[in-house]
Amino acid sequence: MNKPSPDARYNQRIPHMRARTSSGRWLGRFSSFLLVTIVLAPSLFASPFADAAHQLARKIVAASGPGAFALDFANRSSLDEKSVREVRSALEAQLHVEGVHVTKAEQATGTIEVVLSESLRDYVWTAVIAIGSDEKKVALVSIPRPSASAAFAPVMPMVLKTTLLFEQEGPMLDVAVVEMPGGSRLIILGSDAVSIYRHEGAGPSGNSAVRWEQETSLPIIHARAFPRDLRGRLLLRRDHLFDVYLPGVFCRSTPNAVVPLTLACSETDDPWPLTADDSVRAFYASTRNFFTGALSPGIGKISNVPSFYSAAAFQRASYALWVFAAVDGSLHLVDGVTDQAIRGANLKWGGDLAAIHSNCGIGTQLLVSESDDIAHDRLRAFEIPDRDPTAVSAAAEFDGQIVSFRPDGSGTSAAAIVRRKDTGWYEAYRVSVTCGN
Amino acid sequence: MRRIAYLLLAVISLLGVTYDAASAEPRPRYGGTLRVMLQTSPSMLDLPSNATPAEYWDLARTLSLIGDTLVRIDAQGRPRPGLAVAWQSDANASHWQFILRQGVKFHDGGAASAPAVAQILSALQSGWIVRASGDTIAIETAAPMPSLPAELALPRNLLLKRNAQGLPIGTGPFLISGWQPQQLLKLAANEESWEGRPFVDAVEIEFGKALRDQAIALELGKTDVIEEAPQAASFSPTHGTSLSVSLPTELLALDFPANSRANDPRVREAVALAVDRRPIQSVLLKGAGEPAASILPNWMTGYSAVFSERANPQEAHSLLANSRQAATNIPFNLSYDPRDPQAQLIAERIALNAREVGVAVQVSLSGVEDIRLLRVVLPSPDPATSLSEAARQLGLRQPTFSDNVEDLYQAERGALVTHAVIPLFHLPVATAIGTRVREWVPDRRAQWSAWGPSLADVWLADQRMADQRSAVLHFDLHAQAALQ
Repeated sequence: MNKPSPDARYNQRIPHMRARTSSGRWLGRFSSFLLVTIVLAPSLFASPFADAAHQLARKIVAASGPGAFALDFANRSSLDEKSVREVRSALEAQLHVEGVHVTKAEQATGTIEVVLSESLRDYVWTAVIAIGSDEKKVALVSIPRPSASAAFAPVMPMVLKTTLLFEQEGPMLDVAVVEMPGGSRLIILGSDAVSIYRHEGAGPSGNSAVRWEQETSLPIIHARAFPRDLRGRLLLRRDHLFDVYLPGVFCRSTPNAVVPLTLACSETDDPWPLTADDSVRAFYASTRNFFTGALSPGIGKISNVPSFYSAAAFQRASYALWVFAAVDGSLHLVDGVTDQAIRGANLKWGGDLAAIHSNCGIGTQLLVSESDDIAHDRLRAFEIPDRDPTAVSAAAEFDGQIVSFRPDGSGTSAAAIVRRKDTGWYEAYRVSVTCGN
Repeated sequence: MRRIAYLLLAVISLLGVTYDAASAEPRPRYGGTLRVMLQTSPSMLDLPSNATPAEYWDLARTLSLIGDTLVRIDAQGRPRPGLAVAWQSDANASHWQFILRQGVKFHDGGAASAPAVAQILSALQSGWIVRASGDTIAIETAAPMPSLPAELALPRNLLLKRNAQGLPIGTGPFLISGWQPQQLLKLAANEESWEGRPFVDAVEIEFGKALRDQAIALELGKTDVIEEAPQAASFSPTHGTSLSVSLPTELLALDFPANSRANDPRVREAVALAVDRRPIQSVLLKGAGEPAASILPNWMTGYSAVFSERANPQEAHSLLANSRQAATNIPFNLSYDPRDPQAQLIAERIALNAREVGVAVQVSLSGVEDIRLLRVVLPSPDPATSLSEAARQLGLRQPTFSDNVEDLYQAERGALVTHAVIPLFHLPVATAIGTRVREWVPDRRAQWSAWGPSLADVWLADQRMADQRSAVLHFDLHAQAALQ
C-alpha cells in the first residue's frame, strides 16, 4: 500500500517556498545532502534501522509529496532510547532529502504521525499522513526482530568459578571439551544429535563466551520415545571419541582412526557409568528421569540403593564413599558396608552432585545443586571430612534451572548446563573450585 | 507485644518457606491426578465451527491433550514440527508436502501413517486435495495458502479418529479413560506418547462449573487448574495459587448482521466514533484488555496504532447530518450474549454513547438484531490465519493476501471499511493454577498444549508439602496484615 505510483497526487507548494530561486532550491538540496553525508552519516550507517527509516521516509513522501509537515513521533516498541533517536534522525534526514520539511504545526500543510511499534515477530513502523480534509494515508515498514538472545550470566563469586562455554536455543543434555589436532573441540549432546564445534578463539568482548564453529552434527537415531524430562550422558573415551547414554539408547562414535566420524546407536537398557573410571554402573529408568537404584557391579556389599537422580564418589584412603541424591529428597552415604540416609531440615540439596579434585581444603569437594521455586538454581561446594557434609563455599547462582551437572573427564572441574529462566536458552558452564576464600 | 509475636512468627514462617523451596522436588515427579474445571458443558467431544469463545477454549484445550496437529506454532508465531517433521511448498504456496514423524501410534494401536492422516485431513478440509505417498502427505489448495502451516496448527485440524461411540482417538499425551457427557472427562497418561509419557498419571476435567464455583474450588484445594475472567487479572491471586493471563486473543466487537436495519455505513461509522472505549475498559473491564479499532491486536501486527480508537462525537454528528436514516430516529436493537456477565453493562454503555451522538440504540434480547455485541476468538498468533478466522466468525468476505504486512493491513482495512464490524476491545484469557502444580509455564496464547511447555509437562508436588507451603504463605499474609 502507499507505494509510489505514476499518478500520485502532490499537495500544493507552500507560498513562502515559492519565492525561492532555483539556485536557492539547489543550495537547500545540497545542504541537505551535506547534512546527511557528513553530519549524520556516522550514526545512520552504523544503525541497523537506518535502511528501514529511509524506506519509511520514501513511502511517506510518496503519499504526502514534498512540503512542510508537522511530525509527531512516538515509540511504542521495545527499542531503547538510543535506537529511537537514531531512527528519528535517519527518518528526518531522509525526509529532508526527499523534500519534506519538518516544521511546527501552525506552519505545516499536514501532519505525519509516526509510531514505532512491534508485533511478536517484527518491528513495525507506521506513519499516518493527514493533509487538510483529505483521507488519511498510511505508510508501513517492517523489519524482523532479533530472536531473544541469552545474555551472559552474571559474574559468579569467589570460590566457585564458573565459565560460560556455550549457549544455544535448543536443549543441551551434556557437554565435553576435548583437545584434538587442530585445536579444542566442544561436543554437545542434544536431544536429537551430537554436535561438534571447533574452537575459534575468544569472543568479541572480555565477558563473552568463547567462539565455536560447528564442524559436524551426528543425528541420534532411535525409535523409542524419550521421557519428557530427558537426561543424558556424554563420556569421552580413549579408543574412540565418545559414548552417549540416553534413556533406553546407547550410542558410540566410530574409532578415532575412522574418518568421517559417525555415530551408531542401539536401543538398550544397559546400565550407565556413574563416573569416568567406569567403576560402578547403575540402571536408568528408560521412561523416567532417575536411576532405578540397581547398581552393577555393586559398591562393596551393596548392590541396591533407593532410586536416585545422581551420584558422586569420594576417594578415601582405603575405600570410596559414595553419595546418592535420592528421588525422595534424602541423601545416602554408601561406603560398601553401610547405607546411611540423611534427611531433615538441614538438608537443602537438589538432585545433582559432582565430586571434583582441587588444591584446596581436603582436596576433594562435592559440588551440589540447590533449587527453588523461582528457578534460580545455585551450586555450592561441600566437604565430607567424616560423615557430615560441611559447606565450604558461597553459593554460585544461575539465572535458571540446572538441568545437568557432572564432573568432566579430568575430574578437576564440572560441567553445568543451565536453562535460562528469561529466554529459555541453554547455557553450558565449566565450574571449578578456586582457593583463597 | 502482639506485634513482636507476629513478627517472630512471620520470620519463622518465612524460614519455613525457604526450607521448603530449597529442599523439595529437584526434578519433576511422576504420578498423581491433575484436576481441571471448565465452564462449558459439551455433550460431544468435538469442536463445532460455531462454538462460542468459551466452548472454543474449553474444547480446544481438552482435545489438544488427546490429539496432535501436523504443525505447531511457537511463542514467536513460527511453525514448528508436530506430527510432521518437515514441510515445503511450491513458489505459489498452493502445493505443500509434509513428511510425517515415524513410529507414532494412535491410542488404539493403529499407526499414524500417511494414509491414516490423509484420510482424517480430507474429512476435516473438504476443499483441499490430500494425498498420501510413503511417509509424505501432499496437500493442494485451490488458492495460494502461504499460512497453511499456521492453519494446520489450529485445534480444528487436530488429527483425531473416532471410535464406535464417537469418542476421539488421537496420538497425544493423554487418552480417554472415562466420559460422562456434559460432566466429566477422565484422561490417562499415554505410556507410548511420542513426546514421552506425561508426568501425571491422569487428568480429570469437570465440565459445567461456573467461574465463581471454579474459583472457590481452587481456593479450597479441590481442583488444580481453572479458568478465570480476564478482569480477575487485576486482583492478586490468593495464597499459593498463581494466575496467568494470555496476550489478547479475543476481540469484543459490534457486528451489524446482513438483515440489520442500520444499513447506512455513515450511521455505523457514527456509532464507531461515538463509543468511548477507555471508561468501559477501566470501569467495566477493570483494566483488562486493550481498546481496539482493529480486528487484530497489536502484538500480532504491530500496526494497530493507525486504527484510531478515540471517540470523536463531533465527527459522528457531522456524519449523521448527511444520513437520511439517522433522521428517522428508529431505535436499533443491540443484543449481547446473556452468558457473558459483563456483556449487558457494556452494551448499555455503548447504547448510551450512541444516543449521545444522535443514534437511537436500545439494548434488547428480543426482536430483530440490528447490532450484536459479540466475542470473536483470534486463535492463531499468525495474523493472516487469525484474520481469516475472524472474518469467518463475523460473516465477512474471506480476505486474500500474501505474507506481507502491507497486504495484511490492506486486507484488514478492507474488512472494516463498511463499518459492518466495529472492533471495541482485545481481551486476554486467564487461567489460575493451584498450589501443587509445578512447571506450569503460562502460554501467552492461552493454549494448554502447544509448542513448548504444555499441560502434559506439569507435575504435581507432594500434596503434604504443598499444603504446608500454602499454610505458611497464608499465615504470612495474616501476619503481614497484622503488622501493617
